[in-house]
Amino acid sequence: MSSGAKRGLGWALGALLLIVLGWWGWQRFRPYAFHGTVLQSAEPAPDFTLMSADGPVSLSDFRGRIVMLYFGYTFCPDVCPTTLFEVQKTMELLGEDADQVQLIMISVDPLRDTPERLKEYVQYFHPSFIGVTGSEDEIAQVATQYGIYYEKHEGTPATGYLVDHTATLTVVDRKGYVKLIFPYGTPAEDMAADLKYLIEH
Amino acid sequence: MTRRNLWIGLAVAVLAALSLTACQKAQGPQIEITDAWGRPSPKVATAGAFYMTIRNTGTEDDALIGADSDACGVVELHESFKTPEGAMGMRPVQGGKIVIPAGETVELKMGGLHIMCIDKQVDFTPGTKVRLVLHFEKSGDIPLEVEIRQPMK
Ligand SMILES: [Cu+2]
Repeated sequence: MSSGAKRGLGWALGALLLIVLGWWGWQRFRPYAFHGTVLQSAEPAPDFTLMSADGPVSLSDFRGRIVMLYFGYTFCPDVCPTTLFEVQKTMELLGEDADQVQLIMISVDPLRDTPERLKEYVQYFHPSFIGVTGSEDEIAQVATQYGIYYEKHEGTPATGYLVDHTATLTVVDRKGYVKLIFPYGTPAEDMAADLKYLIEH
Repeated sequence: MTRRNLWIGLAVAVLAALSLTACQKAQGPQIEITDAWGRPSPKVATAGAFYMTIRNTGTEDDALIGADSDACGVVELHESFKTPEGAMGMRPVQGGKIVIPAGETVELKMGGLHIMCIDKQVDFTPGTKVRLVLHFEKSGDIPLEVEIRQPMK
């Protein structure tokens, strides 16, 4: 090999090394971009105590873990199961880290959803999921505190009333602050990536 | 009857039959249903949902106006929609029917149009097969078998 060719090879190797290093550095140190909507909360998430089939449940019971709050109702056959199925997939994607995440479904239909119904409903999607309800006033207060809109409207004779409701998932971080909102339809892969980041940082 | 009259009569009959089948092929709606499935749901959930793809390969619009199933107390056509407040709601389809325009495909899918099974009579566990009869405005009744299975994405 001539000295010119050796020199050329040296340059090429050097350039390759720079590209690899640069790419590694970018991957390693770039800021993480959340898929969900990030919220900067000045105050901790409002605490609440509502009733599950296994006794009262408070948000503060889960300090040190990530809590996902979902407001829905068991009569809802389309939007709620779609979201809960996506959370089920998220838990599968998280693998061993899934025990760091607690989903709590809060009923926006306290007249029809008993704690027992809620338990059977949510556990169908994942054995760790918790369902809670309370009096109409208690539910209204918690929903308002979390910026959740819900409104009963007349259905058909067969369905009875239906409840329109904000179908987002609210993520409370380990310190008890609202950190993220996942809009309706956020894919499990995106939720799992965001939750994994919160677990690791 | 003369031999000649017989031939003429036969020719007319053949022509009439031909034009009739030609008409049936060229005109009217032609409904095809694919990917019909039902979502598994816990016993405690009184309502379930069916989804499918409905294609109209004909030359005339048709509409799904209702459905029946032994697996449901009542079957209704619904849609999930976003309310002006940004919340999700569910309501019976507008006009009581789902129009399937000629040459087009309408998808009944999660978070959108669905056939809602109220007062489930069977367990919606994966693998269960449910008989469903769809009522179309022009094509009449179309029976089908729908399997309960996990959603695919
Ligand atoms: Cu519905």
